[in-house]
Amino acid sequence: MNTEMLSDIADAEEGTSLWKDAWLRLRKNRLAIIGLCILLACIVLALLTPLIAPYAYDAQDLDLGATPPSAAHWLGTDIFGRDMLTQILYGGRISLAVGFIATAVALVIGITWGAIAGYAGGRVDAVMMRLVDILYALPFMIFIILLMVVFGRNLLLLFLAIGAVEWLTMARIMRGQVQSLRQQEFVEAAISLGLSPGAIIRRHLIPNALGPIIVYTTLTIPSVMLLEAFLSFLGLGVQPPQTSWGLLISYGAETMEEYPWLLIFPGLALTVTLFSLNFLGDGLRDALDVRGSKD
Amino acid sequence: MRLCAPFAGALVIAALVAGLGGCSPGESRVVQGNREGVLYLGNGTEPQSLDPHVLSSSPDARIAGAIHEPLIMYNPYDLSTEPGVAQRWEFSEDGTEITFYLNPDARFSNGDPITAEDFRWSWMRAITPEMGNLLVEVFYGIRNAQAYSKGEIDDPEAVGIRVIDPHTLRVELAFPDPFALLNFAYVYMAPVHRATIEAHGAMTDRYSPWTKPENFVGNGPFTLEDWKMQRFVKVKRNPYYWDTNNVALNAMVFRPIESATTEEKMFRSGQLHSAAMVPNNKVKGYREQPDTPMVEGPYMGSYYYLLNTDRPPLDNLSVRRALAMAVDRQTLASTVLQDTVLPSANYVALGMPDYEHPKVLEFNPTEARRLLAEAGFPNGEGWPPIALNYNTSENHRSVAVAVQQMWKQHLNVDVSLANQEWKVYLDTIDNRDYQIARMGWIGDIAPSAFLDRMVSDGPTNRSGFSNAVFDDIIFNKIRPEKDKSKIMALYTEAERILLEETPLIPIYSYKVKRLTQPSVKGLPSNQTGYINYKYVELDPDAPAWTWQTLDP
Repeated sequence: MNTEMLSDIADAEEGTSLWKDAWLRLRKNRLAIIGLCILLACIVLALLTPLIAPYAYDAQDLDLGATPPSAAHWLGTDIFGRDMLTQILYGGRISLAVGFIATAVALVIGITWGAIAGYAGGRVDAVMMRLVDILYALPFMIFIILLMVVFGRNLLLLFLAIGAVEWLTMARIMRGQVQSLRQQEFVEAAISLGLSPGAIIRRHLIPNALGPIIVYTTLTIPSVMLLEAFLSFLGLGVQPPQTSWGLLISYGAETMEEYPWLLIFPGLALTVTLFSLNFLGDGLRDALDVRGSKD
Repeated sequence: MRLCAPFAGALVIAALVAGLGGCSPGESRVVQGNREGVLYLGNGTEPQSLDPHVLSSSPDARIAGAIHEPLIMYNPYDLSTEPGVAQRWEFSEDGTEITFYLNPDARFSNGDPITAEDFRWSWMRAITPEMGNLLVEVFYGIRNAQAYSKGEIDDPEAVGIRVIDPHTLRVELAFPDPFALLNFAYVYMAPVHRATIEAHGAMTDRYSPWTKPENFVGNGPFTLEDWKMQRFVKVKRNPYYWDTNNVALNAMVFRPIESATTEEKMFRSGQLHSAAMVPNNKVKGYREQPDTPMVEGPYMGSYYYLLNTDRPPLDNLSVRRALAMAVDRQTLASTVLQDTVLPSANYVALGMPDYEHPKVLEFNPTEARRLLAEAGFPNGEGWPPIALNYNTSENHRSVAVAVQQMWKQHLNVDVSLANQEWKVYLDTIDNRDYQIARMGWIGDIAPSAFLDRMVSDGPTNRSGFSNAVFDDIIFNKIRPEKDKSKIMALYTEAERILLEETPLIPIYSYKVKRLTQPSVKGLPSNQTGYINYKYVELDPDAPAWTWQTLDP
């Protein structure tokens, strides 16, 4: 064996890194790719909303009132004569922002917390997880309401507050994963090679625990969107004329017998987004789970 | 956890249906009730209390009206007075005293006779400061009752309630008020049974078990039979009631249903004889029904936005008037509210008999823009951020969203919205921690019920409105006046002053909306929502009303 051959092998190894490998596998999953495309489209639409929305989001036409879909208003109008398509586009901005930002906050806190607790074990673990238990016992509504009362009504704060209550389950999942991974040989190997605990968590534990985390993330995003709708209903979230999908649905549900399109279209927007997230999450889990796809 | 709520609601309804029992299969509650003479009513929230000196909400008062009877009752059709416990009454020459002659046959539901002393004891209980009676204001027409209720005097003899003999009661009025009789028809002034109350606790216990079905003693046409929390309150005919021969129903069942949508659905499925709430979006459908079960009419209540005159920019009169004149009430009422209200730029409810409404704050966008510019905000430039508060409800939100946009459109000013749960909201109002706040006031068929409360430091004047000329009209011109038409003209003048100062922006007057099964007689709509249960009858053979699907 000469040096040339060795470098060839090294190149080949480089070519199939964890992420590249995962991408190759993900590409084969058609549903996941469709989901990804829809999500990207949603994000682009949300970013471009102020340019492409057919009407101003607060423009009312009271004399028009609620009308079914027509050429002028593709998705109909609500009781204030506001264009539903515009409402859904603007509502999507808020809902997607809440979904992604709050989930990102939950992810960062939850993963860090869970990984440290799981890796450290012993007394540190006990203290950290008891804190999680205590926070679990705290009614999350009271927690959010307290935050809102202390810091005032603020959209970004709302995102952070929701994230701050959604990280608990994430931390538990992460801790469980880390605890089981920690016993495995590759971690012992890393320890014996002298890697610092931080590096082990970052380089070995987190990537290996991503499967369940990603699945749980795709479940967190919809629940966060619904939580936002609930908070807005209580007067703690977004306020009219701003809107979100959750709010549009809750208003639409009140008049679903008279004006079904006010419920159907925002419902459809939310459903499609959530389906896309679920398919993408499913695909990602399969793609990232090295053990499950050895074939 | 969040998903549980609708299921819990469904369970409550299932429990209601199962709990009342006795319904043969295929027969609706309404048909069964028609046959048995039992009236089923939707009644808003779970009652807090059935003690007439403790209760304060209209659902509680609706039940209390069946099991307690005051001195005077009304005819529900024309709101003329008729005998309650008092057979007749007369004003003294100078209008400062009323003498009530009690019906010697009037009895409590345990058979004890009702005497003038029962009224004196009951009323003294109601105005005792420790009682914490929220509706103590209805007693303020009695001389010194206000001072006594505030603890300023503690001699019960000073209060103008005089027992002449067991069946004669004399009331000395605080001032010769031509509308004084109205107060004596409120259920809050009904007598209570002293021995029962004292047997179950102290006189002033707010949550004493005396109102439990097994202990209760009242004097209404009905008496309490059963009360299951969050399920129903059942009342049955009171055999000792003096006029029991004219009571048609055998029993009534009041169900706590908080949601107008649920109540309407229960009405439609034949579970209720009458629903006191109709969701706005259903009104149009009901109007189009042949033989509609919905009755509508004016109601003595007004809906308005309170302006906090201490906070800039609302401390500026031109700003307040500009905001008031930029609200297109006509369009709001006909579109968003589906004509379920009467658009009104007046504080005193429209339809007030013999009253002329001054025109001050009518919709006028040109004048509104001029006023705003005069106040230093031409075309909304330099407008500071202000907020409109409302208590959480779909109806209030709809009105707020529309008005917010009208201000944007006509004045180019931004107003943000904020909603709060009712109790938090009341706190916000009482602490004057708001700029603009939604309010409503249900009055009576007298302008005094609206305007007297707006005097400086009036107990329910939450607006901060204080005007010497207004106070002078109420206290020094109206009170000594005996000529009713002059009194009405003075009230018109008082309302004009109020509107010109604009501590509030009137939006609309309420309308009564009520769904009633065709089998129900004697439950007409009237301006105060008054129900006299004696008049209610059920046609035993009438079918339940059914929704007709109409061709579009």
